[in-house]
Amino acid sequence: MSTDADMLKRGPISYGPIRAFAVSGACWVLVFVGGFSGFGEAAGGETPPAVTKSTVGMPVKIEQIVLPGTELEPLPVTDNTLVVLRVDAVYPHGTAFRYDLVCYGLEPGEYDLRQSLRRKDGSSTTDLPPLPFHVGSQLAAGQIEPHDLGAAKLPWLGGYRLWMVLGGVVWLAGLLWLVYPRKKPEEATEVAEVAPAVSLADRLRPLVTDAVAGRLPPAQLAELERALVSYWRRRLNLQDLAPAEALARLRADPEASPLVTQLETWLHRPPTPTQVDVAALLEPYRQIAPDAL
Amino acid sequence: MTTATSPSASDTAASAEATDRTIRFIEAVRQQIGKVVVGQDVVVERLLVALFTGGHLLLQGVPGLAKTLLVSTLARTIDLAFARIQFTIDLLPSDILGSEILDQRTNEFRVVKGPMFTNLLLADEINRAAPKVQSALLEAMQERRATIGKETFKLPAPFLVIATQNPVEQSGTFELPEAQLDRFMLCHRLEYPTPAEEREVLKRNLTLGVRREDKGAVARTEFDVLDSGPVGSVEDLVVAMEAVHQVYVSDTFVEHVVELVKRTRHHPRIELGCSPRAGIALTKAARARALICGRAYVVPDDLYALADDVMLHRMRLNYEALAEGYTGATVLRELLDDFGFVSRG
Repeated sequence: MSTDADMLKRGPISYGPIRAFAVSGACWVLVFVGGFSGFGEAAGGETPPAVTKSTVGMPVKIEQIVLPGTELEPLPVTDNTLVVLRVDAVYPHGTAFRYDLVCYGLEPGEYDLRQSLRRKDGSSTTDLPPLPFHVGSQLAAGQIEPHDLGAAKLPWLGGYRLWMVLGGVVWLAGLLWLVYPRKKPEEATEVAEVAPAVSLADRLRPLVTDAVAGRLPPAQLAELERALVSYWRRRLNLQDLAPAEALARLRADPEASPLVTQLETWLHRPPTPTQVDVAALLEPYRQIAPDAL
Repeated sequence: MTTATSPSASDTAASAEATDRTIRFIEAVRQQIGKVVVGQDVVVERLLVALFTGGHLLLQGVPGLAKTLLVSTLARTIDLAFARIQFTIDLLPSDILGSEILDQRTNEFRVVKGPMFTNLLLADEINRAAPKVQSALLEAMQERRATIGKETFKLPAPFLVIATQNPVEQSGTFELPEAQLDRFMLCHRLEYPTPAEEREVLKRNLTLGVRREDKGAVARTEFDVLDSGPVGSVEDLVVAMEAVHQVYVSDTFVEHVVELVKRTRHHPRIELGCSPRAGIALTKAARARALICGRAYVVPDDLYALADDVMLHRMRLNYEALAEGYTGATVLRELLDDFGFVSRG
């Protein structure tokens, strides 16, 4: 065991290496302690908040974020809204609330989601922690507007318009082609009905002349008979009656009856020795004035 | 002066005798029918026209206009075999033509003729039957024979089909196509009786009474009124048919018919005009009508009187005319009114 004398004999003790070791160890301890305490402070809210990132128009979900104070709700979207925020779900979390948020940006830039929130009870939101939201852009750097389309100015008549006009012309031509053949005979018939080629009197005169001369074939004899009956129907105003009834009335009429009876004998009876004086029969109809009918 | 040529004296005498006999026969038939059916003189005339010419008749009219009664009475008046078939959707050709059945005694097939084998066949509501039945009937009407199994049988002479169809109830009917309608010589549209005629119908009906049968009684109907025998025979009918063929048809009348039929083919409102068969039917019917009216020659009156019944069912109006509200009758009336005027080629 060493005594004080020994100690004095040996001279004073050298503490240099120990002190250096102790100092360096203390420094490392401080570094570690300081490091852990620093970490603890960062986790407690003093570190910068995490930035939520997305690109223009792409929604991103922020889940289970605890925000102090009363319940929050998103601000209504207006024409000037740059960040659209939606509260997906809300859960009570002690005195605070826990939220699932969905948001997306309409313009690239840095935003704070606090600007898009308000309290349901209308109280201030200044106690909210910052909620940074970065909206990136997919456009090339520096480009903020769409490229100019650079479409060339079309001529007054050309391209699509020209095709439209041509299509219209073809359609119209087709329509006319369909309509015209139907309309044509109809018009022709109407003209024929309205204005017959010759009047009854005009047609009757030559028929009578030829009949008296014995030159009429059966077809024209039939036509003569029809014309004479028609003449008497008009003269006695029997046009509204049915033809069969009108003919019966003609037979009963003292003026028309002789003609009808003689025509019957002349044109329809079987050949008999009875003679019909055709010239005398048709004499009154030789010179019928056009305005007589 | 134009002079008509002389007729053959013997022909005239024979035809005059036949005409006289036929006129008496017609008068007797008319009187007998008049005992049962009130009015309907035009229909009776058309029935006789069809009977004398061997043509078939289609009667179109609402129920209750005495169509069946008329035909039944006509058959009994002339002593003709009469059969009536009520056409339905499930009727089969064999139901009207007949069929072969196995005779178990001889073990051979035996032909059983259908109701078509008669003189006067009433095909009631013909448009209710399926087209194949209509075809079977109309084919027999045209050829006057029917084939059952492997055998072909001639139909009795005279053979006349009088079909009826109701123009109102069109559901569940098969409209006769133009080709089949053309087989009917005449298609007459029955009108309602006049008030005076209807009054007479009611008065007669009030006096019908009841008929005792076995231990009970049944109410007498118009069908029971005609209890006397026939006033004519098949022989009278044959004489009348022959007399019809003696009726003189002038060239002028033929020209009228040709012109009228031609105009139906060129009328702007008619899609399908009359066939040559229409001209033939018009001439034949005019002959019969002339005889019924006591004439030995046809006159334009016959043409005008028969034009509707002969031509209307053979014409089909076009779409434009139908859209404008025209009917076949109005167009034909126009045509006949205009007929007196000059020909338009």
